[in-house]
Amino acid sequence: MNFAKLAARNVYRNSHRSLVTVAAMAFACAMMIVFSSLMEGVIAGSERNVVAMNTGDIQIHQQMYRDDPDIYKMIETSTQLSENIRQAGFFAAERLFTFGLMASDDSSSGVQLRGVDLSYESTVTEIYQHILQGNWLENGDTHGVVIGKKLARLLDVSLGDELIFVGQTADGYMANDSFRVRGILKSIASDIDSASVFMSNGMLRELISLPEQGAHQIVIMRSDRKQDLAEATKKIKMLVKQDLEVMSWRQLMPVISRFLETAQVQTLIMLLFTYIAVASVVLNAMLMSVFERIHEFGIMKAIGVSPWQIIRLVYAETLIQTVVASILGLILGISLSWYLQQYGLDMTSLADGMTFAGIALDPVWHAELSVNSSLVPIGFLFVMAAIAVLYPAVKVALMRPLEAIHHQ
Amino acid sequence: MFRLLIFLFGFLAFITSTNAIYAEDVINDDRVTLLLSEVDDLWRGESSYAVTSMQVKTEHYTRTMRMEGWSKGKEKTLFKIIEPLREKGTATLKSGNHIYTYLPKTDRTIKLTTGMMMGAWMGSHLTNDDLVKEARLEEDYDATISFEGERDGQNIIEFTLVPKLDAAVVWGKLTLTILAESHIPVVEHYFDEDFVLARTISFSEIKSLGGRERPTVLRVVPADKPDEYTEFVYEQLELNIEVSDRLFTLSSLKKR
Amino acid sequence: MNLNVLAWRNLWRHKRRTLITASSIAFGVLLAVTFTGAGDYFYTRMIDAGANMGMGHITLAAPDFNRAPSSKKYLQQSEQLQQQITHMADVKSSMARIQGQAMFASAHKSIGGMFFAVDPEQENADNNLFIKAMVEGGMPATVSDKTVVLGVDLARKLKLTMGKKVVYTTTDKQGDIVSAIARVGGLFQTGSNEIDGAVALLPLHSVQKVLGYQQDEVSVIAVILHDQRHSHQLRDEMQMMSSFSHTEVLNWQQTQPDLAGMIAVDKSSNYISQLLIALLVAAGILNTMLMSVLERKREFGVMMALGLSPQRLFLLVMLESFWLAVLGLIIGTIVTIPWYLFMSQTGIDMSAAYGDGFSFGGVLLDTVFKIRLFEESVMAILIGLFTLALLSGAYPAWRAGQVPPVESLKTI
Repeated sequence: MNFAKLAARNVYRNSHRSLVTVAAMAFACAMMIVFSSLMEGVIAGSERNVVAMNTGDIQIHQQMYRDDPDIYKMIETSTQLSENIRQAGFFAAERLFTFGLMASDDSSSGVQLRGVDLSYESTVTEIYQHILQGNWLENGDTHGVVIGKKLARLLDVSLGDELIFVGQTADGYMANDSFRVRGILKSIASDIDSASVFMSNGMLRELISLPEQGAHQIVIMRSDRKQDLAEATKKIKMLVKQDLEVMSWRQLMPVISRFLETAQVQTLIMLLFTYIAVASVVLNAMLMSVFERIHEFGIMKAIGVSPWQIIRLVYAETLIQTVVASILGLILGISLSWYLQQYGLDMTSLADGMTFAGIALDPVWHAELSVNSSLVPIGFLFVMAAIAVLYPAVKVALMRPLEAIHHQ
Repeated sequence: MFRLLIFLFGFLAFITSTNAIYAEDVINDDRVTLLLSEVDDLWRGESSYAVTSMQVKTEHYTRTMRMEGWSKGKEKTLFKIIEPLREKGTATLKSGNHIYTYLPKTDRTIKLTTGMMMGAWMGSHLTNDDLVKEARLEEDYDATISFEGERDGQNIIEFTLVPKLDAAVVWGKLTLTILAESHIPVVEHYFDEDFVLARTISFSEIKSLGGRERPTVLRVVPADKPDEYTEFVYEQLELNIEVSDRLFTLSSLKKR
Repeated sequence: MNLNVLAWRNLWRHKRRTLITASSIAFGVLLAVTFTGAGDYFYTRMIDAGANMGMGHITLAAPDFNRAPSSKKYLQQSEQLQQQITHMADVKSSMARIQGQAMFASAHKSIGGMFFAVDPEQENADNNLFIKAMVEGGMPATVSDKTVVLGVDLARKLKLTMGKKVVYTTTDKQGDIVSAIARVGGLFQTGSNEIDGAVALLPLHSVQKVLGYQQDEVSVIAVILHDQRHSHQLRDEMQMMSSFSHTEVLNWQQTQPDLAGMIAVDKSSNYISQLLIALLVAAGILNTMLMSVLERKREFGVMMALGLSPQRLFLLVMLESFWLAVLGLIIGTIVTIPWYLFMSQTGIDMSAAYGDGFSFGGVLLDTVFKIRLFEESVMAILIGLFTLALLSGAYPAWRAGQVPPVESLKTI
């Protein structure tokens, strides 16, 4: 018996019902693709905010630096080490830090100065693009700084305003200089937003009389984003050879790491709930479709079609509908997700600044289409449909032919 | 820090002007109280001019600085850095509870805020807090004589000062040792609340300065880093000079 | 002819189908209750927690204090203001507080942080998160005590224990530096390192003396409401009142914009998810009703031939939808009630997944997942689903009346 042809004809015969079933499944499928993509986008966005905006994949410090930051705890061979790391196929950049007081015309606040290597920082973080107003730092600009959004507000400064820094140099003198605000950053993380001032490494070295060589931190990015983080960390550790602390961002920020993991679980739960709702639609439709043809199935059984073949037939019909639904859902889902990936869902009217576990979330949500976000919903759909149709298929397959024929 | 200097000058001025009447007698509450309060009273109302140099040695650097300072009464002090060149002109004015620092490099005057308090003063082992605090010995501490006699080949009197309940000082106890005859201070120990030594200030190089014998070298040593120190050397000192109030204003910070 | 009875009986002619569709409605009720309830519970808790962390649901402050706090900006006649506030409806309590930045010093170290000066009589574990998180000792006995309550990490970094003294330095009314002493009387632990390492509680009057404030001058008056949902309205009312005209009246969304943003976003995504699920349920109902109509074409033809008007037929099918909806809602309610009771009393402990010290919009997250519904939410859910079910039945009902009797009688 040619199942495919029979199944197809059966589906076509009950076009009305098939249509509704297919439509419901396609809609659910499309919705789940969009939802998954959006969730993936937001999660990836958060991870990016953590990793690509500031922390990088891996960081190297001198031992005990993070516990008690002290400008003297430097990685002395940082330049050579960074070069070695780059040779090994990673991106690396050196950074310097110190604390002090920043004063504007009206007020002052404790700040952390963050020195960045203008040649290499853009290979490890995207902070240079995360500008709200003004520009990022430029080579040759010896007095320009870029500050966090909340700091700008606290000090009541805007682009072009002057800031005075007071701190202590490495050789015990007073560090003092004036700077101009060249740029203000968008939200990154609460501590960066409210207390960070970015400048070039050269400027910071001069300001606090740090030696020509050496850095407080080396930030490293994998060049291949798919490379396993733990493995990459091990590789770097072996390259380092000295007694320095090498940690991945997951080890540096365990809370965020955990959050991002649970977020994926949340997506799966949503998927589950939605599909349970879809399942009832499919179940109903298939039930009706099967039971109103019970007379027909009865005759088929009477002429010798086995129960197993009946089940196969019902499944074939479901399969056809599911396939059509998946295609439709895929088309709809992908196009909508693609749109959201390009343009994003603008939540800024709801929330200007959002933080979760100290990390800023981008108020514009971008979807991120991936194999996962498009295929998992489809896979789920097939599974759901298969489960939903089990009961009617088995029921009718096992019915006694005479009962079936006389069933009203 | 400067009030520390003032206190010392005042204390010395008093004890060297009176006689060593108290050298022999044993612990007498009134005597101690009188002694300390007279000290406190004495340097109030005084004015002074001093030139000092400071050397700081830490694990990471050794630096020297030379400055001149003026004071009038308890409320007003002004000092300016003369050397090194890169910090010349940096001036700090304390007038009552206002503290301002002028920074010549950026030509800006900033007011001292709590944010700056944490830092060591000029990279030394004293904090901005020490500079600000106006601990008056009599007001803030209960003093007794804890030892009188010979120690290390010298005849000394040792005072133990315990902060009063309400005094805004972090220390648990201070001990001050002075020479029995001349009443010149020898050493001062600062203890935390568990009576663990936190820092030591020692006095040496007794010379004639500003008309009297006094220790010209003061050394601050932190207990947790005994290899480090901050040392003040008094090169010049004049007391009861003519100094106008106008010197202690913001505008005069920038001059010279 | 009693259409109602007929409609009801029609439903039961296809027991299985009716039950399945009713179940999907019931499932919709369960989901809606869970999502909305989770939201209601969670947001209220977060808002209340945020309120207890310092600023209250509504905050009365000196103008511009919120943007850039400083001891130079303060409220006057706070006692009078508080009197008026307490008499306003829906206010649970109000606390006069001073807050500021200070340097905390021990013999070994100085650390910067912030302090809240409070009146121990006005504050308790209900409206003050720090009191709730007290792990050792307690609040100052009186409002002019000289004790301080520190976060555990702050105490540890300063190497201080109970009874030891702390000197705190801050700027006073005129902007000058002042210091005072206090002894450690209590330690709190909220679980967030940032808070435990930088916050201290001091007695109100003592701080007023140090800052040079009068006894009725404070930084803010934090107002706690019985029901956080009234904060908007009350804030607007208060700002209008003449006695508050020289102050800034803010609600929690203005004092904690990060939290407000997170909640707004979470709420929207919640609504969208529920809407989508509702649409699916509607599709299912539509499908069922449509099928049931289409397969009774002959029957309807006969009925119309016998004189039943298309309008009555429409009504009949609508009644079927109606009863189906009612059935679904009843089953839904029966199924949801035990679930709701469990979730509202016990809830699910998610701490294994989230751990400690998680912050949502700046406020510490409570990791026990519970649900709770406001009356409006219950009504909204029931009415919403009901309307949806009816609407889904409209098209099929219309279709029912469309078939001309002769045509329908033709089909066998």
